Amino acid sequence: MCTGGSPSSNGSQAGDGNEAEQQQPATDQPELPQRTAIVSSTPEEILAEYGENLKLLTLNSQVSELLTIIRDKNTTRSDFKFYADRLIRLVIEESLNQLPYSDCDVETPTGAIYEGLKYRSGNCGVSIIRSGEAMEQGLRDCCRSIRIGKILVESDANTHEARVVYARFPDDIGSRQVLLMYPIMSTGNTVLQAVNVLREHGVPEKCIILSNLFCTPIAARTVVNAFPKLKILTSELHPVAPNHFGQKYFGTD
Amino acid sequence: MSSITFLCSKTNNNNNNNKNSSKDVATNGISASSSSPVFASAGLLTQTTTASAAHHQQQQHQLQLHNQLKKTKVKAAAKSNGHSHIDDRSDATEPIFIDATATGGELNCCPASPTTVPAKSSLESPMRRSARRQRTTSIGNQTTTANPSECIIRANNRTIYTAGRPPWYNCAGQQVEPFVIGICGGSASGKTTVAEKIIESLDVPWVTLLSMDCFYKILNGKQHEQALINEYNFDHPDAFDIELLIDVLTKLKEGRKVEVPVYNFVTHGRESQTKTMYGANVIIFEGILTFHSPEVLKLLDMKIFVDTDPDIRLARRLKRDISQRGRDLKGVLKQYLNMVKPSYANYIAPTMAHADIIVPRGGENTVAIALIVQHVHTQLQLRGFKLRETLANSYKDQPMPDSLHLLHPTPQIKGLHTFIRCKNTSRDEFIFYSKRLIRLVIEYALSLFPFKTTRVETPQGVLYEGRRMESRKICGVSILRAGETMEQAVCDVCKDIRIGKILIQTNLKTGEPELYYLRLPKDIKDFKVILMDATVATGAAAMMAIRVLLDHDVPEENIILASLLMAEIGVHSIAYAFPRVKIVTSALDPEINSKFYVIPGIGNFGDRYFGTEPSDEY
Repeated sequence: MCTGGSPSSNGSQAGDGNEAEQQQPATDQPELPQRTAIVSSTPEEILAEYGENLKLLTLNSQVSELLTIIRDKNTTRSDFKFYADRLIRLVIEESLNQLPYSDCDVETPTGAIYEGLKYRSGNCGVSIIRSGEAMEQGLRDCCRSIRIGKILVESDANTHEARVVYARFPDDIGSRQVLLMYPIMSTGNTVLQAVNVLREHGVPEKCIILSNLFCTPIAARTVVNAFPKLKILTSELHPVAPNHFGQKYFGTD
Repeated sequence: MSSITFLCSKTNNNNNNNKNSSKDVATNGISASSSSPVFASAGLLTQTTTASAAHHQQQQHQLQLHNQLKKTKVKAAAKSNGHSHIDDRSDATEPIFIDATATGGELNCCPASPTTVPAKSSLESPMRRSARRQRTTSIGNQTTTANPSECIIRANNRTIYTAGRPPWYNCAGQQVEPFVIGICGGSASGKTTVAEKIIESLDVPWVTLLSMDCFYKILNGKQHEQALINEYNFDHPDAFDIELLIDVLTKLKEGRKVEVPVYNFVTHGRESQTKTMYGANVIIFEGILTFHSPEVLKLLDMKIFVDTDPDIRLARRLKRDISQRGRDLKGVLKQYLNMVKPSYANYIAPTMAHADIIVPRGGENTVAIALIVQHVHTQLQLRGFKLRETLANSYKDQPMPDSLHLLHPTPQIKGLHTFIRCKNTSRDEFIFYSKRLIRLVIEYALSLFPFKTTRVETPQGVLYEGRRMESRKICGVSILRAGETMEQAVCDVCKDIRIGKILIQTNLKTGEPELYYLRLPKDIKDFKVILMDATVATGAAAMMAIRVLLDHDVPEENIILASLLMAEIGVHSIAYAFPRVKIVTSALDPEINSKFYVIPGIGNFGDRYFGTEPSDEY
């Protein structure tokens, strides 16, 4: 689940489109109040638990600081956006790492040969409205003219079921690598729906890379179970997701 | 520069007859200097000259300049004599610049030399005094002194380009002790000429010339009165602030930045602004009582006594004071007999025993100077001032040092490198991709600063244990020109960060790096510094920059050197010289070629980024 702004408990909530209405304060995990937890799993543990397709950004001090600032409720909105953008940039750069490439030697101005590599063309981004759109700029900063599709997932207020209400993609999306952007995953339901839509459009599971900032272990498990070949990149696995992300980033809180 | 204030005050005094106008004067002087383009350009020229004393052409130019200036000065003096109102700014400033010698007015000053007074009857003994003092600083001297110190940094937002400063440390990055030459001798014995000749023949581009005149004590009211009537003995050792002198000289010898006081001969106090000086490969310290203090003697590596016949010295004084400074025979003689001569006999001549070399006849003694120069050369070579080549050839096949932090070589980083290394990449793409890479390097560099654990409250009502940087005091310092390309990324990552700049260029003739320009945040010693250069080949420029930071008291462990590409030798040299400096780069190349480009490398990063490639490149 997701929810950018809504706490959402069961999953159904949809995209951030409606988050504002649904806001309920942090009821997400009522059973962990005041818990100070860094769920610091080692990369090996994560590999064992979720398989090789879930990757975490290398957690150096700098990334920790970004996470801390974003989570701090006393952070001003301006700082919040500034540091969120930095984190997004790092996550996007790291996501691009997952794209396929081929070797490529080039001649440098000194006349020597550099054995480099070249990414294949034919990538595109897809953001899940609304909070996923926060990551579009980060992607644009890395790939200037990349095509970006959008998906709006809504959750039914009664049944908490997520369903896709809007989707717009490049025509040939089936032949592209897709970078799916969604910053906060609480339950993973929104992402499940989004991936389903992509598959309906002919995108193979293994061609989708999910870029995510904050992920709960529950969501990670849900998504990994449903789509074992989907590549997931996130910066943190933590039982409490910062569900205020969308509102604070866009200033609708 | 000090002369400026001085001159101004003189004119002022003459015109207004204002005794306590020293304050006004000072202000006046300052504004005049800053507002006068003439001054500025003249200053520029001189500076250049000094810095590269080796360049004879320039020196000649300087001489011409000086001559011109002298003329102007005389003109100005004449004007003031006539009590004409000098309201023409540029006029006033011009003479000022000309030479300290032009000073006059009520200033009195030092004893050492008789002097320059504005041509004027109004000058009485007091006047003379002041004039004398100035004379100590002879023209050439003035220039030299001012220059080396000011080549690098300029106080009032003016940048002066001079020949850069060559390395002042050896290939291990350790400060090499400069060679300190002390020159002593009676007034008008030709100390300055000897100093100049040495500088000229040394062919060392960076020399600091320190004059003992800067260290006259601040006079109290009574002494000030005495000075006015010419009864204060400026030739006596007690007239100098020896403690301060030792402090300054010691620091210079350690290669540190020092603030040298500027003595105001009007107020007999020190100007609020000081002159910034750096240690150099060669430091020349000259003055009438250079050898008087045993502690100072210990600091001198070579002691030269300029022994000129007393008759000749008197003759020079007479000639200089009368023909050039408009004083009368009687006055000059009286001064000489009462103060100058006894002081020489009592305090100066006996110190001749400390000298290593006694140079008879002063600056005309070319044989003596040639010998001195030869000795200094040998000493400098022994101390190992020669960098780049040494660096390029050391440390082959050693394991990489711990202080190197290489970005994880992901496909992404390799892909970016492929773009920027390819010689066919257009500039637009080159800039775009190098910026992306720089951003990653900077983000990574930041993670190497110390962090502390902290707990924050989250809107979800849970405490979150995270980390924050220990200190927000971070500043960026870029090594121009290529390092400048990394500034934007630092600003994007750290809000409101301060950025310092250091311009280091390679001397095409010697292949050595030279320091041209330096502008750093004021309290840089309290900051963590990200030092940025796009590429590091031998590491010579980076080492110079690090050395500059250390000289500004930045602790070594607070420096991170961030770079897109480094050659292995560069890393070795830097890590060996400065083991606590953290080195961050996104790629490590194995070799450098004979032109010190990294292989395979990027080419000239600055040229490609700024679009200044020579048309027939490579």
